[in-house]
Amino acid sequence: MRKRLALILSAAMLTVSLVGCGGGNSSNGNSAGTTKSADSGNTSDGASAVGHKESLIIGTDTDINNLDLQKQQDQINNIILKNTHQTLVFFNNGSNGDVRFDPCLATSWEFLDDTHIEMKLRDDVYFNDGAQTPMTAEDVKFTLDMAMDNMVASVLAGYVGCTVKDDYTIEIEIESYNNEFVQSLASLPLAIQSKKAYDDGVEDPYYIGTGPYKFDEWVEGEYCRLVKVDDYWGNEIPAGENLAPGVAEILEFRPYIEASSRVMALQAGEIDVCVNPPINELQYLEEDENITVYEQTGTRLFYFAFNVEKEPWNNPTLRQAVACAIDRDAVLEAAVYGKGTLQTTILNRGLWGFYDEMEGFDYDVERAKSLMAEAGYPDGGLSTTLSYATGTPYEQIATIVQANLADIGITVTLEPMETATLKSACVDGSQELFLWRWNEDSKVDFVYRDLFYTGSGSNYHHYADPKADEMIDIVATEKDADKRLKTAEELQTYLVDACPQVPLYIANLVIAYNKDLQGQYFYGGGNHDWRHAYIAQ
Amino acid sequence: MLRYILKRLVMLIPVILVTSFLIFWAMSLTGGDPALMLAGDNAKPEQIEQIREELGLNDPFIVRYGNYMKGMLIGDMGKSYVTKRDVFKTFMERLPNTLMLGGAAVLIAVVVSLPLGIYTAIHQNTWKDTAGMIFALFGTSMPNFWLGLMLIILFSLKLGLFPTGGKGGLDSLVLPAVTVGFGLAALITRTTRSSMLDVLRQDYMTTARAKGCSEKQVITVHGLKNALIPIITAIGLQMSLVITGSVLAETVFSWPGIGRLVYDSISKRDIPMVTGAIIMCSILMCIINLVVDLIYAFFDPRIKAQYSKKG
Repeated sequence: MRKRLALILSAAMLTVSLVGCGGGNSSNGNSAGTTKSADSGNTSDGASAVGHKESLIIGTDTDINNLDLQKQQDQINNIILKNTHQTLVFFNNGSNGDVRFDPCLATSWEFLDDTHIEMKLRDDVYFNDGAQTPMTAEDVKFTLDMAMDNMVASVLAGYVGCTVKDDYTIEIEIESYNNEFVQSLASLPLAIQSKKAYDDGVEDPYYIGTGPYKFDEWVEGEYCRLVKVDDYWGNEIPAGENLAPGVAEILEFRPYIEASSRVMALQAGEIDVCVNPPINELQYLEEDENITVYEQTGTRLFYFAFNVEKEPWNNPTLRQAVACAIDRDAVLEAAVYGKGTLQTTILNRGLWGFYDEMEGFDYDVERAKSLMAEAGYPDGGLSTTLSYATGTPYEQIATIVQANLADIGITVTLEPMETATLKSACVDGSQELFLWRWNEDSKVDFVYRDLFYTGSGSNYHHYADPKADEMIDIVATEKDADKRLKTAEELQTYLVDACPQVPLYIANLVIAYNKDLQGQYFYGGGNHDWRHAYIAQ
Repeated sequence: MLRYILKRLVMLIPVILVTSFLIFWAMSLTGGDPALMLAGDNAKPEQIEQIREELGLNDPFIVRYGNYMKGMLIGDMGKSYVTKRDVFKTFMERLPNTLMLGGAAVLIAVVVSLPLGIYTAIHQNTWKDTAGMIFALFGTSMPNFWLGLMLIILFSLKLGLFPTGGKGGLDSLVLPAVTVGFGLAALITRTTRSSMLDVLRQDYMTTARAKGCSEKQVITVHGLKNALIPIITAIGLQMSLVITGSVLAETVFSWPGIGRLVYDSISKRDIPMVTGAIIMCSILMCIINLVVDLIYAFFDPRIKAQYSKKG
């Protein structure tokens, strides 16, 4: 009877499956395990000498939702596009003070005057369109001009236009001198696209890039598969260099939204990389001898902030009192089990000009009470609301902050809400206190200007201060490096003291992967580089 | 009968109108500006405004709803704000996955719960009945996502029998289907048991026995057939719920179904995607209900006669 039942069940499920499947190849189960040697002659760091698994499968924590470069903004899409497309300038994630932007499709650039930049382009690059269409200055102009009509226009702020001087030279005009304009060109949505593909009416022309990988198949919600380009223009570039060809034949990105499922998929060998494993499950991964858990300082800054337009938070001394009352060690422990770095300044760690030497506001309840008295609230007696996005780590942070502020006589009502609702509330200015995070690893202007400049879209503090604005402008436009650096440090000290936000901690980057993974390049902000990664065998 | 079916199909029109209006209204009440979510963190206010203008978000609610319904009239459900892809096409790509999961889960539930429900009814007030009801209680109260994770640990990590998630071959369907099916089985078991208990007390059961029918015949032919109507109702309802309510199982098993699509779209304030998907789900639910009603007629000639009259 049991056997009969099992047989019926199996047959029925097979039928349902066949009826429901309805097309589309899918990939699942264990990672493809074919062992191949890396392309000979392309590698010098040993990649050619060792065998490697045919595919590298990366388990992501979010769904891939749009691969049209200029019509999307999500990190997950950019991580994929980094393998298929290339930018004029490459952001190399160097440590503080290093050269962080290298030539990529542009070989060099020079300011002709404050508003004109001449760029020389590589003359050996072609698109992965099957016809080896050369990449020229016309494609660069086309891409940048198109960006101004698209969602990514904000990335290219200050761009006026382009003049093609010859096939491999272009002159870019900007509104006014800006220290970081060239660095904007390292942004993935500004990767160079094929003008010919658009002119010829190719379907989904944005899929065509110049990178070492090209798109094979994207099934929404299931996977996005890239394959190595056989006739990649940079096949002769030695391994170890930025533009060298890929190693693994297939790069596949599979969303596993539930963190525990992602961890188990790694343990079962179905994926090779688990992005953002939950911190509370790390010990199980560390015990697994086939898995490496990697940790480094990140760039994602979590902070507590005030809407400074709202009474009584327009009082800077009161804000400082609150800053002194927050036990950031406890916050760090509760939020990420201590896997992060406390910081004092408002700038993301690793960015140019990072300065954390100011006095700031360490946890000191007595000082907090004294500042409360100075601000006109000797007995506390304040009630307020703390808004934050639901889920980890905000709920943990909010609970600690609520308890801390009770110690100085401030009653906090917690108001968790969806991210979209919170964002709207912050823009409208209806929130009082709030928790937020900022992840920036390349441009300092994306921190100073976006968060603190008067009227800026992401200035959820609603902070308006002409002196801060002036310093932000100097950091953006000052050519004298010493003066610029000095102003950057002054600006950070000034903003910490003005206290529209209380920086809490920078979360560590944590990632778990197959112990044989090689060639990967991790970015503290999560924009990892998988172009040269592979599983050695 | 045909007229009855047509009449029911025509009733889909008010359902679509009411559903779409309610969804539009609810999305406008929840707060959260889609333009802000789309523009990203670094966007300037004027760029956010431009996106708002392009998407027509500055128009009054009623104008936006009117424009949406105008599109619907010509079969255009719009494009997703996030993916820029056609809403209907995206939905139809996910639908087979959900039907596959829902179908397999209901199948498992029916195969387990029908015999169990009959068995516990026949053995009412014995330890066998109690054991069956404990199973049903477990199934009803056990959280879906927890069961899913436990199944993954046991069958994927420890025994290596099935993949942990994703949609692949038949083996990838087993764990999610069992997870969803377990809860359904519990509910259907309880319904089957109580319906069978009602039937077992009827006089015609005694008559059947008196006529010399075997106990097996009495239970399956005379008993089960008469007890089926509430069971079919329960199965139909559960099938409808599975289509829209498998978000947790789909998330735990990375199953690319409609539940996950709707959930992601709501969090991103992707109004066209949410509205389109919910309208489609409403239509599906109406169709499932219609099919259930037609199955009633198949099992009960009295109902068939009623339909013919109504038609």
